[in-house]
Amino acid sequence: MMAGSRLVAAGRRLRVIALHGALLTYSAVAGAAGTPVGTVIENTASVTFDFAGTPTTVQTNTTTLTVVERIDVVVTLQSPQIIVAGEESDRALLFNVTNTGNGSEELTLAIQNAIAGDDFDPVEAVPAIYFDSDGSGDFTAADQPYEPGVNNPVLAADESVDVFLVNDIPAGVDDGDLGQSQLTATSTTGTGAPGTEFPGQGDGGVDAVAGPSGGEASDIGEYLVSEIQIDVVKAQTIADPFGGDQPVPGATITYTITIQITNSGAATASALEDPIPSFTTYVPDSLTLNAAPLTDAAGDDSGEYDTTVEPKIIVRLGDLTSADGIQTVEFDVTID
Amino acid sequence: MSAKTKRYTAGNAFFLALPILLGSSAVLAQGHLDVTTTVQKEMVVTNENGETETRLIGAETVVPGERVVYTITFENTGADAAENVVITNPIAESLSYVAGSASNGDMRIEFSADGGRTFGIASELTLVDDGIERPATTGDYTHVRWIMQTELDVGAKGSASFAAILE
Repeated sequence: MMAGSRLVAAGRRLRVIALHGALLTYSAVAGAAGTPVGTVIENTASVTFDFAGTPTTVQTNTTTLTVVERIDVVVTLQSPQIIVAGEESDRALLFNVTNTGNGSEELTLAIQNAIAGDDFDPVEAVPAIYFDSDGSGDFTAADQPYEPGVNNPVLAADESVDVFLVNDIPAGVDDGDLGQSQLTATSTTGTGAPGTEFPGQGDGGVDAVAGPSGGEASDIGEYLVSEIQIDVVKAQTIADPFGGDQPVPGATITYTITIQITNSGAATASALEDPIPSFTTYVPDSLTLNAAPLTDAAGDDSGEYDTTVEPKIIVRLGDLTSADGIQTVEFDVTID
Repeated sequence: MSAKTKRYTAGNAFFLALPILLGSSAVLAQGHLDVTTTVQKEMVVTNENGETETRLIGAETVVPGERVVYTITFENTGADAAENVVITNPIAESLSYVAGSASNGDMRIEFSADGGRTFGIASELTLVDDGIERPATTGDYTHVRWIMQTELDVGAKGSASFAAILE
């Protein structure tokens, strides 16, 4: 009689909304390109005055400034903290790499997972660095791996590229453990303290100068181990036609199913399905969720009585976290 | 530009006896007023005592974010006092004026945000943007000008300067 209830969840929730927010912030930054390399800024002042009532104007000499190349790069983590479990593979962190200098720049990319202060080191997938080639923001089969020296990103001024770091989660991690992974982008022209000059190495042979980033930038993404735990408990109460609790024909069985999420993480699009046991009949309009009645029809609320294949009740619970507390589903059947 | 140029930072920049800039800076002598402009940038250097200090050096190149200082010097080489002296300097589109950087001496400083057609003091300057009048910001400035409040006597010298950042 205790036929298996089934809780279906579409996996852990990635905070996609937050990710979109980050991308919007990024696009607001775009367009801040510096004055292009090679721009010539001329300056001539004029002075007017009167000599004995005669107005006169003189021009100064003209000064000339040539805009040379500033090397600058910024790396910005796009992903929220990624919720993982031990021994998962190919968990991706998304970063944005932007050339904030005013000339074209070739960059090398590197991953570093031995970072002080975290609880475990994620294990680099092979390869571990990919471009978001399809621009989806998700790590997909279409994304091309980065090969150092072969397909180094070459970014025009203010251009950016999205990059994934792909890691496996080792075994033996505990709930709450944090693992960090760092992406570093480095100018192939050179790096140095801000102001370091690279004579003749800018676009078109002009000088290049290291900007505030020093020609190298990095950012760190995080994996948080959280084993989501879903407890589903089913209980029954029998009322027989004679005032007792015997499972005899005509008796009513009330099933009470409780669902509780513990730990962090979320069960997305979760739904409870519970078949009506053999030799019993569902009592119409007996389905409730947290004591609120649900109709038997599909589509009007979160619950339904479904007879398509075999009689069962379905309650769509949506996204559940521990904050939602215990969810209680009840329905009645009668013994045939 | 001239590496020998020094900039005196003490107080009033006007009527200081600045060295006359020669070398690559052409000095135009017209109407008895000699005027010269130079551009410099700030560089942090270590002096002979091992201390770091910021010096202005002649600039030929610049990168975005860098601050440059333009200085216009003038000297009355004529036989009469010059009246109503006004020094006007355009601010290139790729440069952004640094608020408060114009030396004032005892000159009135005005700005233009409309390509030099009209001028006003910083606090009163406005701009028509999409049909709406709003206060002009330093990034809107297209010109800066200095208006002398007194005559420039025979043989007197002076200078005016301002700083700008390359966008």
